[in-house]
Amino acid sequence: MEKTVLIVEDEFLIAMDLQILLETSGWRVMGPAPTVRDALRLLEKERPAVALLDVNLGNELVTEVAEDLRQRSVPFAVASAYERPDLVGGDVLAGAPNVGKPTTATRLLPVLTRLAGLSS
Amino acid sequence: MMNIEDLYRLLRTSHVQAQGMVDTISDPLLVLDASLCVQTANRAFFDTFKVDRYETIGQPLHHLGNGQWDIPELGRLLRDVIPRAVAIINYEVRHDFPGLGPRTMLVTARRLHHPDTASNTMLLSIVDATESRRQTAARDVLFREARHRMKNLLAVTQSLARNTTVEGRTAEEFRDDFLGRFVALAQAQDLAFDEQTATDLETLIRRLLAPYVAAPETVVTEGAAVELGPRTIMSFSLLLHELATNAAKYGALSVPDGRLHIRWQIEDEDGRLRLRWVESGGPAVSAPSTTGFGTHLIRSAMPYSLGGSVEQTFAPGGLETEIVIPLHGSPPAT
Repeated sequence: MEKTVLIVEDEFLIAMDLQILLETSGWRVMGPAPTVRDALRLLEKERPAVALLDVNLGNELVTEVAEDLRQRSVPFAVASAYERPDLVGGDVLAGAPNVGKPTTATRLLPVLTRLAGLSS
Repeated sequence: MMNIEDLYRLLRTSHVQAQGMVDTISDPLLVLDASLCVQTANRAFFDTFKVDRYETIGQPLHHLGNGQWDIPELGRLLRDVIPRAVAIINYEVRHDFPGLGPRTMLVTARRLHHPDTASNTMLLSIVDATESRRQTAARDVLFREARHRMKNLLAVTQSLARNTTVEGRTAEEFRDDFLGRFVALAQAQDLAFDEQTATDLETLIRRLLAPYVAAPETVVTEGAAVELGPRTIMSFSLLLHELATNAAKYGALSVPDGRLHIRWQIEDEDGRLRLRWVESGGPAVSAPSTTGFGTHLIRSAMPYSLGGSVEQTFAPGGLETEIVIPLHGSPPAT
């Protein structure tokens, strides 16, 4: 499966940083999408191998996107400042690996690679 | 030796005092017998649950009110209190109490102490913990959000540090460039999350330009008072910082005769703010051949986070930047 990752993050500097980090490591980035609406629109056009979700998108939560990803059987990780993302964003986020915020390449890349089912 | 009269008087006085003590306590108290029937209740019980003696004394606990104490687990625990002298401490009962509404009550029960024999009654106290639970929950949310905001800021700072240009410059130039952005962000935080005063657009502009403006006539601002929300303050601060540093390095703010005219208006139908930043009297400018991090910040940061647009025109007189932002929290459309 192609190394494509959907990034959903509303803070420009963080989204850009994640995009640069992932593209430098050979990933193709869908988005980044700052809102639920933008993310869902991207998912209608293309299916990524994996997604990286911020939980709190300013004036909305990422819950609907996570539910959409579940329905499409796309695995996802969260990049959240919350200790328990599921307490804020709902049960759909329970069990998803949290790479933290801020995150590093050493923390993020192995998680995404594993979720996408790619050999490291 | 005390006579009978004095003895009775002493007992009555002590009894009245004891009753007074019990009725002064503001938490509801009940004395139950071994079959969990109410022997006595204090005044606070009658006042809190808005019941009278006839509805209460002699009644089984589980009959009181609308069955609020009719909880099998509580009943099992209470039945152990007298025979085994086991205490129940802060057993939580969450219920919609008649006349009170939804409440969280904490029940504590102990065998009533008797100096000479094993007692066959228990004392039950009921504490209303609803408000303190609500405050704890609210505080937990605040703490969690504060932690969230802090970690977001650390991630943003990491991004600034990683993406501020390093090629073709000294470490000192990198450091100053990074710190300039970092300070703009820190100041924006201060303004954005100030509980007392809302931030006005003109105030924000003046504050951000202050380090670069030598004379008061250098910058002219023109526009109505506009209050900015936290997200707008953050994005706007980053953008204005980049425009100001560029103007100070290459544009109108790099020479004493340079002028900066900033005009804005609200376009009501859409709740949009349109702002024009017009430089004049500075050296001739042209579009940059390579677009670095700074240009990327100017063109993309605000449209990404807030929607809207940023257009730059390298006019013969000087750089003109037109910024349009939605003001009322509607999600951006890409």
